[in-house]
Amino acid sequence: MTDYFYPSIYFGYFFFFLMFCGAVFFFLRSFRDGYWGASGEDVKYHMLDDDEKPDSSQYHLR
Amino acid sequence: MSAISAAQPEQMSVAAKSAAADSIHQDTTAKLFLLSSITYFFIVGVIALMIAAKFVWPGLMGNSPFLTYGRLRPLHVNGMLFGWLLAADMGLTYYLVPRLCGVKLWSEKLGIATAVLWNGIILGAVVTLLAGMNQGFEYGELILPLDVAVVVAWVMFGTNIFMTIATRKYEQMYVSLWYTMGCILWTAFVYLTGNFAVLFTSGVNQANLNWMYVHNAVGLIFTPIGLSLAYYFIPKSANAPLHSHKLSMVGFWSLAFVYVWTGAHHMIHGPISQWLQTIAIVFSVMLIIPVWAVVYNFFATMKGQWHQMRDNIPLKFLMSGVVFYLLTCFQGPMHSLRSVNAIVSKTDWIPGHAHMAVLGAFSFFAIAGAYYILPRLYRTKLYSDALANWSYWLFMIGGLGFFVTLWLGGLWQGWQWNNPAIPFIDTVVALTPVWIVRFFSGILMFGGIAAFLYNVMATVIGAKDNPQAAA
Repeated sequence: MTDYFYPSIYFGYFFFFLMFCGAVFFFLRSFRDGYWGASGEDVKYHMLDDDEKPDSSQYHLR
Repeated sequence: MSAISAAQPEQMSVAAKSAAADSIHQDTTAKLFLLSSITYFFIVGVIALMIAAKFVWPGLMGNSPFLTYGRLRPLHVNGMLFGWLLAADMGLTYYLVPRLCGVKLWSEKLGIATAVLWNGIILGAVVTLLAGMNQGFEYGELILPLDVAVVVAWVMFGTNIFMTIATRKYEQMYVSLWYTMGCILWTAFVYLTGNFAVLFTSGVNQANLNWMYVHNAVGLIFTPIGLSLAYYFIPKSANAPLHSHKLSMVGFWSLAFVYVWTGAHHMIHGPISQWLQTIAIVFSVMLIIPVWAVVYNFFATMKGQWHQMRDNIPLKFLMSGVVFYLLTCFQGPMHSLRSVNAIVSKTDWIPGHAHMAVLGAFSFFAIAGAYYILPRLYRTKLYSDALANWSYWLFMIGGLGFFVTLWLGGLWQGWQWNNPAIPFIDTVVALTPVWIVRFFSGILMFGGIAAFLYNVMATVIGAKDNPQAAA
């Protein structure tokens, strides 16, 4: 019988490690993308706009 | 029935048709998920009442194997978690993500296929769990083929949401989108570990992995998707901007870095390493940071808006849910302390705590979302504001009766268990009055579910007769 005991635990920790690396990466990137800067609060006003119609807002278009 | 606009029916019909034609959103997926999940809420509510009745009258349903506690309980848990709450959250996510991105859902067909598959999974769960097919893990009871189907459905859901966000019109993403993306990624990690990796372990390690899954199912699945809804619907319902988007980012990232380590607090005083128990305790207490960041933000958003609580039904559910969220997230870290854990662990306190999280906080957010969007989806008015208010008070009074009774009963039970002079069976008999109150509290909560379902269905069915472009 093959023992999967440790491989399964390593799998769990490896998956957690991947998620942790992703979290660190995107956390650092959020600084570059301006979420912590002067315009970081704009998005909370924009979400109140009604987006039911196309081109209803010109807010920070990509 | 709520007041219909004084405008002529013909004018309303024209306005509704015009609004429908102008909208870029189809919303078929959101409708399918919401209507099916609310129906499951009602059906599984019946199962919940049957279980509560069996606590008081154990011989009530005879000897039928289909009605034993061992089969009904996993059906109740899985039905409420995946049939009602997660499905409702997914439906609401299909609504809010395209709107926050300013684009259509990436693929409505993929969304409809996801809804069909999800309903197939829930029906499969009902059949297999009632037939006694159960893997024996808490929250991981579904058989392997259904687990695989859940993974497929989640990949379909995640692909649709991520592609919608990738094609978004606006550069910066509102915090609800962050939580939604976090939920999708974390669920992959949590679900695969709890339903597949756990199969290849045994003994204490298996229990540890299982409890990591159980706690992160709440903390990394239902919490982020629930908070995503709250962050969207509280400002929308109150028509007031969020207090601080930066603070919401603090809450998101602290949740991301803290939550995953807390699962082992379910095994305090158990046969796991002391260092692992201590890590779980430390990270559990650190949860106060994201919780306070979230709750303060919501309360500060409501500054000057509290008067709306009088007649704004979605806001009533939302802010009550925030209070329950605060309470349940204060209880959680306290349970993890060794001294408190020695009393409350494994007692009726824990279902009281768990129900406050899943029903009091996250289901309240989902119900609020449903009340908010259904009239908009069907371009009509809610069938009855009064009935919605009744559903709120039935949920609130029934829920409080349920939570508080189980906390008190759990404390009592824990003190008895810590006294070796008391025979175990005496501690069971002593709790009968607690379970009677729980049963009648359950009836009140079920009344809330029934009122909610009736209101939703009457709104949907009556939409053609009362068309109106929702405000």
